[in-house]
Amino acid sequence: MSVIYDHFERHAHGEGLKGRTTHYCPGCGHGLVHRDLAEVIETLGIQDRTILVSPVGCSVFAYYYFDVGNTQAAHGRAPAVAIGHKRANPNSIVISYQGDGDLASIGLAETISTAQMGIPITVIFINNAIYGMTGGQLAPTTLMGQKTTTSPEGRTQAMGMPLRMAELIAQLDGPVYVERVALYDAKHRIKAKKAIEKALRIQAEGRGYAFIEVLSECPTHLKMSPEETEKWVQECMEPVFPLGVKKDLVVEPWWNAEQTPSFDPGKVLALVGASKDAPTRHAKGFPAHMGGQDISFKLAGAGGDGAQTAALLLARAAINEGFDATNIPSYGPESRGGTSYADVHIAETEVLNPGAPDPMVLVAFNAPSLMKFAPTVRKGGVIIYDSTVIEDLSKLPALAPGIRMVGVPLTQLALGLERPMVKNIVALGAIQSVTQAFPVETFLSTIRTVLKDKPALLPLNEAAFAAGVRHAALIPA
Amino acid sequence: MAMPASTRPKPFLEPEYCKACLRCIDACAKDCITQGDHVHPGTGMIPVLLDLENCNGCQLCIQACPEPYGLRPETEREVSGGDFELEDPAALFGPKPGHLVEPVDHPGTEIPISAREPLMLKGTYASAIGALLAGCRHVFGYPITPSTEGAELMAKILPKLDGAFVQAVSEVAAVNMMYGCAGAGLPCATFTSSPGFSLMLEGISYMIGAELPGVFINIMRGGPGLGNIAPEQADIKLACRGLGHGNTHGIVLAPSTPQEMLDLTRLAFELSFRYRNPVVLLGDGYLGQMTGVVRLPKTMTQPGLPAWAVWGDLEHRRNLISSILITEVDLEAHNIHLNAKYADIEANEQRAELYRCEDAEIIVVACNTPARMAKGAVEAVRFKGVKAGLFRPITLWPFPIEAFEPLLVHAKQIVVVEASPGQLQDELRLALSKAELGHPPISSVQRYGGMLPEQVEIEARILDAARMMEEVKA
Repeated sequence: MSVIYDHFERHAHGEGLKGRTTHYCPGCGHGLVHRDLAEVIETLGIQDRTILVSPVGCSVFAYYYFDVGNTQAAHGRAPAVAIGHKRANPNSIVISYQGDGDLASIGLAETISTAQMGIPITVIFINNAIYGMTGGQLAPTTLMGQKTTTSPEGRTQAMGMPLRMAELIAQLDGPVYVERVALYDAKHRIKAKKAIEKALRIQAEGRGYAFIEVLSECPTHLKMSPEETEKWVQECMEPVFPLGVKKDLVVEPWWNAEQTPSFDPGKVLALVGASKDAPTRHAKGFPAHMGGQDISFKLAGAGGDGAQTAALLLARAAINEGFDATNIPSYGPESRGGTSYADVHIAETEVLNPGAPDPMVLVAFNAPSLMKFAPTVRKGGVIIYDSTVIEDLSKLPALAPGIRMVGVPLTQLALGLERPMVKNIVALGAIQSVTQAFPVETFLSTIRTVLKDKPALLPLNEAAFAAGVRHAALIPA
Repeated sequence: MAMPASTRPKPFLEPEYCKACLRCIDACAKDCITQGDHVHPGTGMIPVLLDLENCNGCQLCIQACPEPYGLRPETEREVSGGDFELEDPAALFGPKPGHLVEPVDHPGTEIPISAREPLMLKGTYASAIGALLAGCRHVFGYPITPSTEGAELMAKILPKLDGAFVQAVSEVAAVNMMYGCAGAGLPCATFTSSPGFSLMLEGISYMIGAELPGVFINIMRGGPGLGNIAPEQADIKLACRGLGHGNTHGIVLAPSTPQEMLDLTRLAFELSFRYRNPVVLLGDGYLGQMTGVVRLPKTMTQPGLPAWAVWGDLEHRRNLISSILITEVDLEAHNIHLNAKYADIEANEQRAELYRCEDAEIIVVACNTPARMAKGAVEAVRFKGVKAGLFRPITLWPFPIEAFEPLLVHAKQIVVVEASPGQLQDELRLALSKAELGHPPISSVQRYGGMLPEQVEIEARILDAARMMEEVKA
């Protein structure tokens, strides 16, 4: 068998008899399944494509024996590791070899989700109704009444009934082939090998995921002779875990084993939206007239008011003019509704502190935002608010000195364009007009860049911006 | 096709490989095999006895033997070099094909990219693009606020580059998919946030044990428990001191701008492969969401394939990815090897940014977004004539103590600013202690639960420290 190492170098460094014998107890079913698997890998001619994922359990050392690519996984995670391998090299043949504790207990989530994913890997599930490596504890597949070290009086109802994995996996949509086999006599051993061969062939042909459950013998922890264990599997286990094909779909090959990732720089740059075109600059310089080298804005409203988009456009306008800018959104856990505000900084060279606890400019889209943030606006700052929805300023808390209040009917102007959602672009126009942060052209070219893939929306947004500029310009300073 | 009975090889047994399970006895229809009666001196087992007079070569006994070198067809007898000799078949027949091939490193290449205009990106996007430019085409993840946008961008882009974004059933599965992909030798990453990072720690320990690269972008949120989705820095302890069970360490990078989210993500991949070890990129929730100017680098990476990869081909067939070393001697040796790697990282990978530190009497220590508030505060108090400077560790592990040490000559006060209950300060104190450095008084500005230190409170604390300094002088 060329798929089994000539010498088990990894077993106690291959010293003495360990170089040619397995670490399994006498009569253990693992050795039989190892033999079948090795012979099938050889028959199918896939030795130089195969990766075996060893689990945690008695077969943790499966990699001692198989002359294929080997990976040893954490307890229960072998199918996830297998998916990692299969995705990395779609041409590899990946086998997840697992026991009942690993597959049906700690790794149940990985088992089910990987099966449902349906990516062509092969899962070999060794069910011997007990934990071997840890010393004979209750397994998810332990039979009712069966005594183990953690069910010393036998498995009772409160411990749950034995989990029938092959049936469970077969009722998922992902797998194409599911069979339960046994090893207790010559006839069944031949069937088991055939099932393993079919499962691997299905993977090699790119047809899908296959799952083979093998009823196996653990003489040591069942405390019987190997011969008695064979009988026990036949007489006690098989009635609970009926043998046979549980699912066998004819699926055309679909997995693309030849897929290789692209490293074409042009493609990558296009996908990340990088452009060679430098934006035209319209500003004569940094708007230091607004107060210093670093100017902060806060745009606040209800979710859906468009504060976030307006904030992004404002920051982008500054960047297009060659300055630094930051924008931090802040919103509640709701996807829609709730509060929503954004802090924007524009700086001549570098934004030091990107938060805006005391903004120079506040844009308030609703009354709660105005009440909350107006008192934080710094001395000499500007507050732009939507005068359509905020009519009563009598309850406004005390403000810092020298603040200019500018009421612009953002909603009303947007309704004039029959699109209430553009009130944020109206607000952007008002910001331009009131603050003179950047020329009109700066904002318009930013809007055009953002909407380059949606040209139909451009006239509406340009009109909204113009309405904001025009209206705010009429308000005396 | 069954061969005629007369030509099918009969079984043979080298008794030292028989574990006396007796499964063959039942399998034989001709009763050729019987229980032995002598204890084998080498194994302590009682091997079965073969009497092949009636054997028709059905081979059912061979199929019943769980030992690969137990019952075998006679035709393999000479391969083993004789009845009782443990002779290396390689000496007799030469090595097997798979062992003729020595895996070698296939180096990656740097591909120049033409000059581009700066992008305006939020931190998570910048990090995702950093990963793309570092050659990462495989991302495994589970959605969690506030890191999700990075994963979403990858889900959009990677299929178009014939890579893969896989949404796993949990963070536990995601990190183990990374284990598999990294084991195959490819760069891979995940985007997560604090509770998700907790779940990944088991897998990270395995990756460290198995010496696998991988990049973990953890956009820290408020904790403990479910906490909230606002920014915090309270995973510093976990990343620097608690990467799962056992003797674990990983380089921890702390960006403070969207630009650094891109640059340090690229660096993370490089370091991850250089040291064959996971690298953690710790951002805070603010940084993940913050949009800023990001300039693209001049090159992008096309990864190669390392010699150690389990790729699933002839060249790499001999390789093994594993973290289990069952004997104490082997595992101690592995830990000594890891310790040497950690020492190498500590010696070579410390990184920090120093701002106005050259004459600073008050050293403000901060990382991530709070470092930006701290920079603003340093700038503000400098206007008032206070000699403050910002020491910003870029690697939290290893802590950049070599860059910090010279500042102690003129430092009279240290102020640690962080959105955590002293986890950064603990790293500083531990680094000072390990380097056996005395230090001036340390005070702190700490906020929790999603509140970040504000510039005004940092300024106030620096001014307090300045007053204390004056009192000491007086």
